[in-house]
Amino acid sequence: MDKYVKMQVQEPRDPQEGLEAVVALRRLLEMLEASQVENAYAAGWSWERIAGVLGVSKQAVHKKHAKRLKARFSGGDRGGEEG
Amino acid sequence: MIWLNRFTTFKRFTVEARRCVEAAIEEARILGHDSVEDEDLLLGVLAADAGIAAEALDSLGVSLEAARGAAEEVFSDTLASTGISFDEIRQQTGEGFEMRYSSPGRLPFSPQAKKALKMSLLEALQLGETKITGEHILRGTLRNQDGHAVRVMANLGVPVEAVQGRLDQLRRQSPTSDR
Repeated sequence: MDKYVKMQVQEPRDPQEGLEAVVALRRLLEMLEASQVENAYAAGWSWERIAGVLGVSKQAVHKKHAKRLKARFSGGDRGGEEG
Repeated sequence: MIWLNRFTTFKRFTVEARRCVEAAIEEARILGHDSVEDEDLLLGVLAADAGIAAEALDSLGVSLEAARGAAEEVFSDTLASTGISFDEIRQQTGEGFEMRYSSPGRLPFSPQAKKALKMSLLEALQLGETKITGEHILRGTLRNQDGHAVRVMANLGVPVEAVQGRLDQLRRQSPTSDR
């Protein structure tokens, strides 16, 4: 798939299509981030550890995801580490 | 509501038209958009309009669910052009996967959505009306040829002209107060 993606995304093509593909990829990336952060949070990872792997500040990841995840896991079914 | 102040034109919106815009903001979140797009306005009309806009779309077989599906299809088709299968990713990611845009805070309106709203105002003025209704939002959104809403309609197999024709027809049949 790598070769195919490279061909499709990086080779010059219709700018409209190319730019729209970038927008779609960005959306997908956001969805995947939300799901992976949730997965890590559910596994008991700390915000610091999640942020460290994502390469962003603890504040940034907290601001973006904390409210949603705390609402979801208010029942306390997280495992492992401290929050 | 804070966002109403973002557009000078919002003060010309009827209560119901504002509900359509609010619903559009929620639809944008559901579809994982980081801004309110013009296709979200179309979905907002389907979700919140109680006048001839919703009636016209309904009579042409366009439901909120079908339109959401078509909007998602436009997204997954675009991803497919990069060699990525959205369905596959969703399956692999499992139950934690959500399309919903998770960042808190107010979503801005995209340029295409702003254009659609400006065209809504023009539609109202052209029809000699001072308040913007759900019907005007629908007309304005579908008038924007550069937007995604027209593509959503194309995916649904409903020509934009058919919607406009149906609106004209319902307009002739119904008294002003029902729009």
